[in-house]
Amino acid sequence: MISELAQIEAAKKGSVEAFTSLVNGYRPGLLRFLVTRTSTYADAEDALQDTLINAYRYLHSYDSRWRFSTWLYRIAVNNAANIRRDDTVELGDLGSEERGPLEHCVAAADRENLWLSARSLLSDEAYAAMWLRYVEDMSVKDISAVLERSVSWTKVNLLRARRLLEAKLSNETGGSPMKSENSEAHG
Amino acid sequence: MDKLAKRLRDDAEQIDVFISPEMDERLRASLTGIRPEPETAPAKALRPFSWWWGSSLTGVAAAMVVLAVVNLQAPAPVPAITEPAYEPFAMPSIPWRAETALLTSPLEQEFEDLQSDIRKAEEALRQELDAIF
Repeated sequence: MISELAQIEAAKKGSVEAFTSLVNGYRPGLLRFLVTRTSTYADAEDALQDTLINAYRYLHSYDSRWRFSTWLYRIAVNNAANIRRDDTVELGDLGSEERGPLEHCVAAADRENLWLSARSLLSDEAYAAMWLRYVEDMSVKDISAVLERSVSWTKVNLLRARRLLEAKLSNETGGSPMKSENSEAHG
Repeated sequence: MDKLAKRLRDDAEQIDVFISPEMDERLRASLTGIRPEPETAPAKALRPFSWWWGSSLTGVAAAMVVLAVVNLQAPAPVPAITEPAYEPFAMPSIPWRAETALLTSPLEQEFEDLQSDIRKAEEALRQELDAIF
């Protein structure tokens, strides 16, 4: 099996095969993330395509000290922001009759998807930070690199977002405020 | 993994996406049509030896001109004033009947309390952040 760095080097020399094989594993995760960030599924697909094309074109600027996924998500966040800047529909304004791609993609679930609530509760950047942290398992340092924010900003916004979503969950279950294992251990 | 993290991960997996063959084909076609940009090394400034001599001499000459202009345009020295400009004025002594008011003491106390609250809140936040991340 060829290592990721070898694939990157081959792709830098113009091998589409190497690049395709390099990004294949990242595509579903990226598309899932972009679906939550755009107002139509087609926009999410366009954003994914733009992300991969930009990644291929500017592969020379990738710094191997960072994870490749961190760099890809940095491009994806920018592309999603560009597509949404051109969009006239705000994600939070989508009514029930005007369902966005995320609603379509989670329609089969028996309970409300927490990412749907997160979209209305959190700012764009806090939402992205939560996704990168809890879905992509990125470190706080990597998240701050993707969002081009300081580590402190990232930590504080993750904490705020967690509190909002914990409150939402505790309302949903109708019980006492939910606490994380860590905060229980701490408190 | 805490409950919220587990729920977020599970719900993300519930988001059903599908990379269609058409999209795959479209992407492959787009990638085939472009080439990665080559790595560009910063251009080295190659200048002849005489250029450095020329620029150094120009700099020295410019500095000398500035010094000459500044010295030629120096203002004439101002004559010293020997006589005092005013007569000393004797302040009459007034028997003030005033007492020191302790108006700032409650505010200072309040300020210290607020500072203490801020320090406690900062410490609590720092501990919470360290525990979670």
